[in-house]
Amino acid sequence: MSQLHWYLLVAVLLFCIGLYGLVQRRSLIAMLIALELMLAAISLNVVAITSLAGGDAESATGNVSSAGQVVAVILIGVAAAEGAIALSLFVAIQREVQSINVEDLSELKG
Amino acid sequence: MTGPTLAALLAQFAPLAACAVVLVALRGRPRTAAALAIAGMAVSFAASAWLVAAVAVPGRSFLAQTVFLPVDQAHSLAFGVLLDTLSTTMALVVSAVTLAVMVYSTGYMAGDPGFARYYGFLALFGWAMQGLVLSANLLQTLAFWELVGLASFLLIGFWFERAAPAAAARKAFIMTRVGDVGFLLGVLLLIRTLGLATIPDVIAAAAPGGALTGRTIAVAAALLLMGVIGKSAQGPLFTWLPDAMEGPTPVSALLHSATMVAAGVYLVARLHPLFLAAPDVMRGLLWLAIATALATATMAMVATDIKRVLAYSTISQLAYMLMGLAAGSVTAGYFHLVTHAGFKALLFLSAGIFIHHAHSNDMREIAGRDPRAQRAGAIGLVAGSAALAGVIPFAGYFSKEAILGAVGAHGTTLVLALAYAGAALTAYYSFRMVFLTLVPAGAGATEAGGAHGGHGGTGAPAHRRTPGERAMGVTVLVLAALTLVLGYLGPWLGVRLLPGEAVREPFELGTGALVALALVAAGIGLAWIEFGRAGAPRIGFLERVPALARFCGDNWYLDRLYRATVVRWAAALARAAQWNDRTVVDGATDGVANGTVGGGRLLALVQNGNVQAYLTVAALLLAALAYALGRVAVAP
Repeated sequence: MSQLHWYLLVAVLLFCIGLYGLVQRRSLIAMLIALELMLAAISLNVVAITSLAGGDAESATGNVSSAGQVVAVILIGVAAAEGAIALSLFVAIQREVQSINVEDLSELKG
Repeated sequence: MTGPTLAALLAQFAPLAACAVVLVALRGRPRTAAALAIAGMAVSFAASAWLVAAVAVPGRSFLAQTVFLPVDQAHSLAFGVLLDTLSTTMALVVSAVTLAVMVYSTGYMAGDPGFARYYGFLALFGWAMQGLVLSANLLQTLAFWELVGLASFLLIGFWFERAAPAAAARKAFIMTRVGDVGFLLGVLLLIRTLGLATIPDVIAAAAPGGALTGRTIAVAAALLLMGVIGKSAQGPLFTWLPDAMEGPTPVSALLHSATMVAAGVYLVARLHPLFLAAPDVMRGLLWLAIATALATATMAMVATDIKRVLAYSTISQLAYMLMGLAAGSVTAGYFHLVTHAGFKALLFLSAGIFIHHAHSNDMREIAGRDPRAQRAGAIGLVAGSAALAGVIPFAGYFSKEAILGAVGAHGTTLVLALAYAGAALTAYYSFRMVFLTLVPAGAGATEAGGAHGGHGGTGAPAHRRTPGERAMGVTVLVLAALTLVLGYLGPWLGVRLLPGEAVREPFELGTGALVALALVAAGIGLAWIEFGRAGAPRIGFLERVPALARFCGDNWYLDRLYRATVVRWAAALARAAQWNDRTVVDGATDGVANGTVGGGRLLALVQNGNVQAYLTVAALLLAALAYALGRVAVAP
């Protein structure tokens, strides 16, 4: 196994933990945290692939792409913005229905 | 547009405009509504009078027609007016009677919650009948023919919140509809052969050497006659007319004299040459008319409801008109239509005065309520009955004499004898009505006096006549005067309707006239012996046999026959259709609807409102997609 595979394995683990948390937790805030985990997994993937893919030849020449790191920084920014919006929505929902339990928010039930 | 055309349009559309305004805008303002309707009808009356004068020269007629919807080369829809003595005098009669009824109704219908609606319907009736009378082609005639039926339906069922008038209106509408099927087919047949079917074209085509073959004429005449039989309440289809008495009495006056039932007879007079060209059909009509006249005369002899007596007498007199027409004399039949319009309107309006006063239709009850205090009503009833019976200076005598003369010149002795017998019965039942209504029961003279006293005690002497009641009285008196005048119109009409025909002088007393007068005197005498004289038994010779009285009092059991046969079959068919509709048709649509709803319910289970369930499904689907894409990518 190359170095890259370990990074990808960690990212998959993170993603699955995030997905599990997103599906399993009933609190909107916990779900948001789980979502952040999934985003982190994706960031890790991007950085790892752009840094380490292409084999030993490239790394030997030291020609490492920094594009992945740029994307990762943007993703962190997006995650922060998303968190701000989501949290403010949660506050509004809390005021409206006195709950942020996702099972109580089923007005669109068919 | 020439003067006559303009006047004809005015005569038609003034009532229509009044009707529209009243029904749309004046429902809540009865006095304005009545005034407007009367004004519209007065305009129509004036226009009709001018039209009569415009075409009064013998042999003069106008035809103005405009095509508004061409269908193909031969066929088109057209609207027009045909003005000759027949149509203009009829228009005058229609507008005069409608106007009289409208004026009279200001008193009779006063205080009715539907007063404005009533006047709207009356104006509608006037428009429909004027349109029918003045129409230039058969399709137009058909349209107004149906409108007349609609207007009478609305007016017979005017008090629709009660069961009996609603049922009577339905019966009238459906029963005339039976005949109208034939009428529609006849009109379509003539239109198919002749294109536009303008009335003069139809008459020209029916002449020898015209465009129509004898067979076509016979079939068309028979089909048109079906409509006439329904509309003019003849033969088997007459039972709707006695029931139509459920409407307000002025409506009956209108319906029985100048509109509705007159439409059928008018149509036969209008297309008389066409009918004459089918002699077999005319012979059938003659016998049907005689049978109807005699049968309904027996019914009139046992009825106790004054309006029913009048209804049967109308049917009987309409049969006389058709007899005259079938015997080949358009003058005699149409003359009787005109005089009958006058005296029948008079009779109904006089009866209305008594009914308004006594709040009952039963002649014996009216007799107990001091009927002679209603001076105008008593005069009207006696004058009208004398005209109906055919007493010499009254209008009915001259026109009935003309009909009997025409029948005598045309038919066999048997036909003539039956017609004379009918005339005697007419005299009998009309004076039975007079005596029953105006002479209080002899045995109960003191009782009647007591009733009078009791009535007086409740305020009769203090009773001031309202303007409406005065209008009723004046209308009746004017019509009563007319019955003395209308009879002299015969020669005037004869010269203009059929220039070739021999004109009878009014006071030409031949054998026929003397026989008729003797029979009339006998009928009146019998009525006096049985009902009029002091200590009279007040029971007719027919009523002495209970079975006969029941038979005649129940429309000769015709209604029972219809109920047991046609009505039952139609009801069974209706039930079957209803079952089909409820079960099959509704079932199909309900099935589609229920299927959609059920499917929706089923699919809604997926939409459980739980975000995490959606997420799970989305994640699983994405995983499946990734797996599938990976397989494709790995496969070479």
